[in-house]
Amino acid sequence: MIQKKICMVGVFGTGKSCLVQQYVHSIFSVKYHSTVGVKIDRKTVSVDGLDVGLMLWDLAGRDSEADIAVSYLRGVHGVIYVVDGTRRETFDQAFELEAIVRREVGQVPSVLAFNKFDLIDQWVLTAADEAAGPAGPGWHRIRTSAKTGVGVEAGFGWLGRATLGGSPR
Amino acid sequence: MTATLDAFGLSDTGRVRPANEDHFVIASMRKSVRIRQSNLSAETLADRLGGAEAHLLAVADGVGGRPGGEVASSRVVEGLLAYVGRAAGCYHQFSVEEEQQFLERLEQNIREVHESILRDVADGEEAPATTLTLAMLVGPRAYLVHVGDTRAYYLRGDRLRQITRDQTVGQFMVDVGAWTESQAAKSVAGHALASAIGGSELTPSIGLIDLEPGDTLLLCSDGLNKHVSDDQIKEILKQAATAEPACQALVARALDGGGSDNITVLVARITG
Repeated sequence: MIQKKICMVGVFGTGKSCLVQQYVHSIFSVKYHSTVGVKIDRKTVSVDGLDVGLMLWDLAGRDSEADIAVSYLRGVHGVIYVVDGTRRETFDQAFELEAIVRREVGQVPSVLAFNKFDLIDQWVLTAADEAAGPAGPGWHRIRTSAKTGVGVEAGFGWLGRATLGGSPR
Repeated sequence: MTATLDAFGLSDTGRVRPANEDHFVIASMRKSVRIRQSNLSAETLADRLGGAEAHLLAVADGVGGRPGGEVASSRVVEGLLAYVGRAAGCYHQFSVEEEQQFLERLEQNIREVHESILRDVADGEEAPATTLTLAMLVGPRAYLVHVGDTRAYYLRGDRLRQITRDQTVGQFMVDVGAWTESQAAKSVAGHALASAIGGSELTPSIGLIDLEPGDTLLLCSDGLNKHVSDDQIKEILKQAATAEPACQALVARALDGGGSDNITVLVARITG
């Protein structure tokens, strides 16, 4: 089976682990646990009849004490940058993190996930914000909610397809 | 970087349990090629062959209240050793694909032990069960596989962090918002394992962390954290000069706190 390594990247508390848990186990955890190091989950998806094993590397979030460890990015096929739509700084830092990833591994298919869409009444990002930053065929923007599941399947699905070099939908 | 380890383990029955159902192992695997003669430079040889060593640390806590917990924890540790023995010499620097295969095989080995335990049980009988927390150190990277409520922590500088998350019914209920922490702590059912080798559910959690010189890794059974707080663990790890006195101090503190369960601790310091 083809295997693809996907890294979840973002500031602490943006919901990276929750997105993975929702995608893999259909579970939403209300209790916050910060990830230490990397937690690895797997999910097999079917892309045009082809089974693809996604290895989901949930990286510890960037915080005031530690940046993301670039050693974890080695061999990555796709990245999901997770932004908390209710925290402006997570949006700004997503682009800093994207520059780090691009420097380390080059351009790989990427999703910019605007997470916590269930908290839309507390949203601080504008439509212009959500359209800003890197663009092109290797990029996909999507609003997600790890709590309700909105956008989760679609976001991971797009990336799985994109890592195969196919035409993402 | 090749991890040089100061590692030590200690296991104690505690003050209440009649027997020790915990098992642990610390093992090193070395790729060894003896150069009999060569005109290559010493540096070249050292680069190619030197320091290729990996380390396995594992703790398993046999589940009490059902027969054979001691046997189950022993079997899982023995199974791990058999696995790494078969694969000895392969653990050096992984490519991305090899790294994934390595993790899958490690998990598969645990599933095989789980299935072998279940096969040996007669219909209607409860299988012996065990937790497992293992760390395989390859270079600076520690690969972790975790089942149940044994734990892995690491200390870097002044910060102690729990790497693993307990796979208990109580933790699950807290995570999904059904219970408070207090309810989980008080509930007998809350302490039941949501995942165990030999149990009705097995969901190994896999992770990794890159360690640095000066970091300390701690693996322990829940006999430690029932009586010793994270702050106390941190202070003991910081103050101990080497791994051995750290283990002795941790076990002594758990015994002072009541020693209500078997206590096993493995401490590994990255020294270079």
